[in-house]
Amino acid sequence: MSGPAEPLTDFERQARGVLEESVRRIDARTRSKLNQARQAALAAAQPQQRSWLRSFTLMPAGAAAAAVLVALTLWYRQPGGESPLLEGQHTAVEDMDLLADSEGLDLMEGGDGSFYEWAVAQSDNAESEG
Amino acid sequence: MPAALLGDVDQTDSSAQSRTRALNQFLAGVELKAFKIAQAALRHEDDALDAVQDAMLQLARAYADRPAPEWKPLFYRILENRIRDLQRRRTVRGRVIAWLPLRGADDDEDPDPIAEAPSPEPQPLRRLEIEEAMGALEKALAGLPRRQQQAFLLRSLEGMDVAETAAAMGCSEGSVKTHYFRAVQALRAQLGEFYV
Repeated sequence: MSGPAEPLTDFERQARGVLEESVRRIDARTRSKLNQARQAALAAAQPQQRSWLRSFTLMPAGAAAAAVLVALTLWYRQPGGESPLLEGQHTAVEDMDLLADSEGLDLMEGGDGSFYEWAVAQSDNAESEG
Repeated sequence: MPAALLGDVDQTDSSAQSRTRALNQFLAGVELKAFKIAQAALRHEDDALDAVQDAMLQLARAYADRPAPEWKPLFYRILENRIRDLQRRRTVRGRVIAWLPLRGADDDEDPDPIAEAPSPEPQPLRRLEIEEAMGALEKALAGLPRRQQQAFLLRSLEGMDVAETAAAMGCSEGSVKTHYFRAVQALRAQLGEFYV
Protein backbone atom coordinates (compact mmCIF):
# COMPACT_ATOMS: atom_id res chain seq x y z
CA MET A 1 0.00 0.00 0.00
CA SER A 2 1.45 3.36 -0.93
CA GLY A 3 2.02 5.90 1.78
CA PRO A 4 1.19 9.57 1.58
CA ALA A 5 2.90 11.39 -1.25
CA GLU A 6 4.07 14.29 0.93
CA PRO A 7 7.34 13.79 2.84
CA LEU A 8 6.79 12.99 6.51
CA THR A 9 7.84 15.39 9.24
CA ASP A 10 9.99 14.15 12.12
CA PHE A 11 6.96 14.18 14.36
CA GLU A 12 4.96 11.99 11.97
CA ARG A 13 7.85 9.55 11.62
CA GLN A 14 8.22 9.30 15.39
CA ALA A 15 4.49 8.87 15.89
CA ARG A 16 4.44 6.07 13.32
CA GLY A 17 7.39 4.41 14.99
CA VAL A 18 5.67 4.50 18.36
CA LEU A 19 2.39 3.16 16.92
CA GLU A 20 4.18 0.29 15.17
CA GLU A 21 6.00 -0.54 18.39
CA SER A 22 2.70 -0.60 20.28
CA VAL A 23 1.37 -3.13 17.74
CA ARG A 24 4.46 -5.31 18.18
CA ARG A 25 3.88 -5.32 21.93
CA ILE A 26 0.32 -6.59 21.83
CA ASP A 27 0.19 -9.41 24.36
CA ALA A 28 -0.19 -13.12 23.58
CA ARG A 29 -3.72 -13.34 25.00
CA THR A 30 -5.01 -10.66 22.63
CA ARG A 31 -3.14 -12.19 19.69
CA SER A 32 -4.68 -15.56 20.48
CA LYS A 33 -8.18 -14.08 20.65
CA LEU A 34 -7.69 -12.29 17.35
CA ASN A 35 -6.47 -15.52 15.79
CA GLN A 36 -9.58 -17.33 17.04
CA ALA A 37 -11.77 -14.53 15.67
CA ARG A 38 -10.05 -14.86 12.30
CA GLN A 39 -10.58 -18.62 12.20
CA ALA A 40 -14.26 -18.12 13.06
CA ALA A 41 -14.61 -15.58 10.25
CA LEU A 42 -12.96 -17.93 7.74
CA ALA A 43 -15.24 -20.77 8.85
CA ALA A 44 -18.25 -18.50 8.38
CA ALA A 45 -17.15 -17.84 4.81
CA GLN A 46 -16.90 -21.59 4.09
CA PRO A 47 -20.47 -23.10 4.16
CA GLN A 48 -21.66 -21.58 0.88
CA GLN A 49 -18.65 -22.95 -0.98
CA ARG A 50 -18.75 -26.32 0.78
CA SER A 51 -22.44 -27.09 0.19
CA TRP A 52 -22.10 -26.11 -3.43
CA LEU A 53 -19.01 -28.22 -3.92
CA ARG A 54 -20.42 -31.17 -1.98
CA SER A 55 -23.29 -31.49 -4.47
CA PHE A 56 -20.68 -32.10 -7.19
CA THR A 57 -18.13 -34.14 -5.31
CA LEU A 58 -20.73 -36.55 -3.93
CA MET A 59 -22.45 -37.01 -7.27
CA PRO A 60 -20.57 -40.22 -8.31
CA ALA A 61 -21.21 -41.82 -4.93
CA GLY A 62 -24.90 -40.87 -5.13
CA ALA A 63 -25.22 -42.28 -8.64
CA ALA A 64 -23.60 -45.57 -7.59
CA ALA A 65 -25.88 -45.87 -4.57
CA ALA A 66 -28.95 -45.24 -6.73
CA ALA A 67 -27.84 -47.92 -9.22
CA VAL A 68 -27.38 -50.49 -6.43
CA LEU A 69 -30.82 -49.63 -5.03
CA VAL A 70 -32.51 -50.11 -8.40
CA ALA A 71 -30.72 -53.46 -8.92
CA LEU A 72 -31.76 -54.72 -5.47
CA THR A 73 -35.36 -53.63 -6.01
CA LEU A 74 -35.58 -55.52 -9.32
CA TRP A 75 -33.97 -58.60 -7.77
CA TYR A 76 -36.40 -58.80 -4.85
CA ARG A 77 -39.44 -58.25 -7.07
CA GLN A 78 -38.52 -61.45 -8.99
CA PRO A 79 -38.00 -64.11 -6.29
CA GLY A 80 -37.32 -66.83 -8.83
CA GLY A 81 -34.61 -64.77 -10.31
CA GLU A 82 -36.38 -64.67 -13.64
CA SER A 83 -36.31 -61.30 -15.24
CA PRO A 84 -39.29 -59.77 -17.12
CA LEU A 85 -37.15 -59.83 -20.25
CA LEU A 86 -36.77 -63.64 -20.11
CA GLU A 87 -40.50 -64.02 -19.46
CA GLY A 88 -41.18 -61.99 -22.60
CA GLN A 89 -38.85 -64.23 -24.58
CA HIS A 90 -40.83 -67.28 -23.42
CA THR A 91 -44.08 -65.74 -24.70
CA ALA A 92 -42.43 -64.94 -27.98
CA VAL A 93 -41.43 -68.62 -28.41
CA GLU A 94 -45.08 -69.71 -27.90
CA ASP A 95 -46.21 -67.20 -30.52
CA MET A 96 -43.67 -68.63 -32.94
CA ASP A 97 -45.17 -72.12 -32.41
CA LEU A 98 -48.65 -70.83 -33.07
CA LEU A 99 -47.57 -69.06 -36.26
CA ALA A 100 -45.70 -72.13 -37.45
CA ASP A 101 -48.80 -74.29 -36.90
CA SER A 102 -50.82 -73.67 -40.09
CA GLU A 103 -53.85 -75.59 -38.76
CA GLY A 104 -54.19 -73.37 -35.76
CA LEU A 105 -53.80 -70.31 -37.91
CA ASP A 106 -56.63 -71.47 -40.22
CA LEU A 107 -58.92 -71.98 -37.26
CA MET A 108 -58.19 -68.43 -36.06
CA GLU A 109 -58.53 -66.75 -39.44
CA GLY A 110 -61.16 -68.61 -41.38
CA GLY A 111 -63.70 -69.58 -38.81
CA ASP A 112 -66.72 -67.71 -37.63
CA GLY A 113 -65.84 -68.53 -34.09
CA SER A 114 -68.03 -71.62 -33.87
CA PHE A 115 -65.10 -73.85 -32.99
CA TYR A 116 -64.15 -71.67 -30.03
CA GLU A 117 -67.79 -71.50 -28.86
CA TRP A 118 -67.95 -75.31 -29.04
CA ALA A 119 -64.67 -75.66 -27.13
CA VAL A 120 -65.85 -73.33 -24.37
CA ALA A 121 -69.22 -75.22 -24.12
CA GLN A 122 -67.36 -78.53 -23.82
CA SER A 123 -65.25 -77.15 -21.04
CA ASP A 124 -68.31 -75.79 -19.16
CA ASN A 125 -70.16 -79.10 -19.48
CA ALA A 126 -67.20 -81.06 -18.15
CA GLU A 127 -66.98 -78.75 -15.10
CA SER A 128 -70.75 -78.99 -14.37
CA GLU A 129 -70.71 -82.78 -14.65
CA GLY A 130 -67.66 -83.04 -12.46
CA MET B 1 -19.43 -37.50 -14.40
CA PRO B 2 -17.83 -36.07 -17.54
CA ALA B 3 -14.15 -35.31 -17.28
CA ALA B 4 -14.72 -31.67 -18.24
CA LEU B 5 -17.12 -31.20 -15.33
CA LEU B 6 -14.70 -32.89 -12.95
CA GLY B 7 -12.06 -30.45 -14.15
CA ASP B 8 -14.40 -27.55 -13.46
CA VAL B 9 -15.00 -28.79 -9.93
CA ASP B 10 -11.27 -29.11 -9.30
CA GLN B 11 -10.76 -25.63 -10.64
CA THR B 12 -13.59 -24.21 -8.50
CA ASP B 13 -12.32 -26.05 -5.45
CA SER B 14 -8.79 -24.75 -5.87
CA SER B 15 -10.13 -21.25 -6.58
CA ALA B 16 -12.16 -21.35 -3.35
CA GLN B 17 -9.15 -22.59 -1.43
CA SER B 18 -6.89 -19.89 -2.79
CA ARG B 19 -9.52 -17.25 -1.95
CA THR B 20 -9.76 -18.57 1.61
CA ARG B 21 -5.96 -18.47 1.87
CA ALA B 22 -5.92 -14.90 0.56
CA LEU B 23 -8.63 -13.87 3.03
CA ASN B 24 -6.73 -15.50 5.88
CA GLN B 25 -3.58 -13.68 4.86
CA PHE B 26 -5.41 -10.37 4.61
CA LEU B 27 -7.10 -10.71 8.01
CA ALA B 28 -3.85 -11.84 9.65
CA GLY B 29 -2.19 -8.74 8.20
CA VAL B 30 -4.73 -6.24 9.51
CA GLU B 31 -5.98 -7.76 12.77
CA LEU B 32 -3.35 -6.29 15.13
CA LYS B 33 -3.51 -2.80 13.66
CA ALA B 34 -7.29 -2.95 13.56
CA PHE B 35 -7.28 -3.90 17.22
CA LYS B 36 -5.11 -0.90 18.09
CA ILE B 37 -7.37 1.42 16.09
CA ALA B 38 -10.49 0.03 17.80
CA GLN B 39 -8.79 0.23 21.18
CA ALA B 40 -7.84 3.88 20.61
CA ALA B 41 -11.47 4.67 19.79
CA LEU B 42 -13.16 2.56 22.46
CA ARG B 43 -10.54 2.67 25.23
CA HIS B 44 -11.60 -0.84 26.20
CA GLU B 45 -9.78 -4.04 25.27
CA ASP B 46 -12.74 -6.45 25.15
CA ASP B 47 -14.92 -4.01 23.23
CA ALA B 48 -12.07 -3.53 20.75
CA LEU B 49 -11.77 -7.30 20.34
CA ASP B 50 -15.54 -7.57 19.78
CA ALA B 51 -15.46 -4.83 17.17
CA VAL B 52 -12.60 -6.45 15.24
CA GLN B 53 -14.22 -9.89 15.44
CA ASP B 54 -17.54 -8.56 14.12
CA ALA B 55 -15.78 -6.72 11.30
CA MET B 56 -13.90 -9.90 10.32
CA LEU B 57 -17.10 -11.95 10.33
CA GLN B 58 -19.04 -9.46 8.25
CA LEU B 59 -16.24 -9.09 5.72
CA ALA B 60 -15.92 -12.88 5.37
CA ARG B 61 -19.66 -13.44 5.07
CA ALA B 62 -20.63 -10.58 2.81
CA TYR B 63 -17.56 -9.49 0.88
CA ALA B 64 -15.22 -12.49 0.58
CA ASP B 65 -16.03 -12.79 -3.13
CA ARG B 66 -15.12 -9.16 -3.82
CA PRO B 67 -11.69 -8.41 -5.38
CA ALA B 68 -8.96 -8.57 -2.73
CA PRO B 69 -7.81 -4.94 -3.20
CA GLU B 70 -11.29 -3.82 -2.04
CA TRP B 71 -11.05 -5.72 1.25
CA LYS B 72 -9.03 -3.20 3.24
CA PRO B 73 -11.27 -0.11 2.76
CA LEU B 74 -14.35 -2.33 3.23
CA PHE B 75 -12.95 -3.89 6.39
CA TYR B 76 -12.15 -0.54 7.99
CA ARG B 77 -15.53 0.85 6.95
CA ILE B 78 -17.23 -2.07 8.70
CA LEU B 79 -14.95 -1.70 11.71
CA GLU B 80 -15.80 1.99 11.99
CA ASN B 81 -19.52 1.18 11.94
CA ARG B 82 -19.02 -1.38 14.70
CA ILE B 83 -17.03 1.12 16.76
CA ARG B 84 -19.83 3.65 16.42
CA ASP B 85 -22.43 1.05 17.44
CA LEU B 86 -20.42 0.15 20.52
CA GLN B 87 -19.89 3.80 21.43
CA ARG B 88 -23.62 4.48 21.11
CA ARG B 89 -24.46 1.40 23.19
CA ARG B 90 -21.94 2.47 25.80
CA THR B 91 -23.47 5.95 25.97
CA VAL B 92 -26.91 4.44 26.60
CA ARG B 93 -25.47 1.99 29.15
CA GLY B 94 -23.66 4.87 30.88
CA ARG B 95 -26.89 6.81 31.20
CA VAL B 96 -28.65 3.78 32.69
CA ILE B 97 -25.79 2.98 35.08
CA ALA B 98 -25.74 6.60 36.24
CA TRP B 99 -29.22 5.99 37.71
CA LEU B 100 -28.22 2.75 39.46
CA PRO B 101 -26.72 2.58 42.97
CA LEU B 102 -22.92 2.53 43.11
CA ARG B 103 -21.30 -0.87 43.19
CA GLY B 104 -19.31 -1.84 46.26
CA ALA B 105 -15.63 -2.66 46.19
CA ASP B 106 -16.46 -6.37 46.74
CA ASP B 107 -18.16 -6.54 43.33
CA ASP B 108 -14.96 -5.78 41.48
CA GLU B 109 -13.30 -8.65 39.68
CA ASP B 110 -10.22 -10.14 41.31
CA PRO B 111 -7.04 -9.01 39.59
CA ASP B 112 -5.25 -11.60 37.49
CA PRO B 113 -2.13 -12.52 39.56
CA ILE B 114 -0.16 -13.44 36.43
CA ALA B 115 -0.95 -10.15 34.74
CA GLU B 116 -0.17 -8.25 37.94
CA ALA B 117 3.14 -10.02 38.58
CA PRO B 118 6.22 -7.90 37.90
CA SER B 119 8.28 -8.97 34.94
CA PRO B 120 11.58 -10.62 35.95
CA GLU B 121 13.35 -8.89 33.07
CA PRO B 122 14.97 -5.55 33.88
CA GLN B 123 13.33 -2.66 32.01
CA PRO B 124 15.87 -0.91 29.82
CA LEU B 125 15.68 2.84 29.78
CA ARG B 126 14.79 2.89 26.10
CA ARG B 127 11.90 0.53 26.68
CA LEU B 128 10.56 2.81 29.39
CA GLU B 129 10.88 5.82 27.13
CA ILE B 130 8.95 4.12 24.38
CA GLU B 131 6.29 2.97 26.81
CA GLU B 132 5.93 6.52 28.10
CA ALA B 133 5.72 7.79 24.54
CA MET B 134 3.07 5.19 23.70
CA GLY B 135 1.05 6.14 26.75
CA ALA B 136 1.30 9.83 25.92
CA LEU B 137 0.35 9.26 22.28
CA GLU B 138 -2.60 7.06 23.19
CA LYS B 139 -3.83 9.65 25.66
CA ALA B 140 -3.46 12.45 23.12
CA LEU B 141 -5.21 10.34 20.45
CA ALA B 142 -8.10 9.68 22.82
CA GLY B 143 -8.66 13.43 23.09
CA LEU B 144 -8.96 13.95 19.33
CA PRO B 145 -12.32 14.20 17.56
CA ARG B 146 -13.23 10.77 16.18
CA ARG B 147 -12.76 11.65 12.50
CA GLN B 148 -9.32 13.15 13.11
CA GLN B 149 -8.32 10.14 15.16
CA GLN B 150 -9.55 7.79 12.43
CA ALA B 151 -7.76 9.65 9.63
CA PHE B 152 -4.53 9.77 11.61
CA LEU B 153 -4.56 6.06 12.56
CA LEU B 154 -5.59 4.76 9.15
CA ARG B 155 -2.81 6.71 7.49
CA SER B 156 -0.09 6.45 10.13
CA LEU B 157 -0.67 2.98 11.53
CA GLU B 158 -2.33 1.14 8.66
CA GLY B 159 -0.33 2.98 6.02
CA MET B 160 -3.34 3.65 3.81
CA ASP B 161 -3.08 6.38 1.18
CA VAL B 162 -5.51 9.27 0.93
CA ALA B 163 -7.83 7.53 -1.56
CA GLU B 164 -8.06 4.34 0.51
CA THR B 165 -8.60 6.31 3.70
CA ALA B 166 -11.38 8.27 2.01
CA ALA B 167 -13.05 5.01 0.92
CA ALA B 168 -12.75 3.57 4.42
CA MET B 169 -14.10 6.73 6.08
CA GLY B 170 -16.81 7.33 3.50
CA CYS B 171 -15.75 10.90 2.79
CA SER B 172 -13.83 12.89 0.17
CA GLU B 173 -10.06 12.85 -0.16
CA GLY B 174 -10.05 16.56 0.72
CA SER B 175 -11.78 15.79 4.02
CA VAL B 176 -9.20 13.11 4.79
CA LYS B 177 -6.37 15.58 4.22
CA THR B 178 -8.06 18.13 6.46
CA HIS B 179 -8.75 15.64 9.27
CA TYR B 180 -5.21 14.27 9.09
CA PHE B 181 -3.59 17.72 9.07
CA ARG B 182 -5.63 18.86 12.07
CA ALA B 183 -4.86 15.64 13.94
CA VAL B 184 -1.11 16.09 13.42
CA GLN B 185 -1.31 19.72 14.54
CA ALA B 186 -3.25 18.82 17.69
CA LEU B 187 -0.94 15.94 18.58
CA ARG B 188 2.16 18.00 18.01
CA ALA B 189 0.77 20.78 20.17
CA GLN B 190 0.23 18.30 23.00
CA LEU B 191 3.30 16.10 22.67
CA GLY B 192 5.92 18.48 21.32
CA GLU B 193 8.04 18.13 18.20
CA PHE B 194 10.48 15.53 19.58
CA TYR B 195 8.69 13.63 22.26
CA VAL B 196 10.54 10.29 22.10
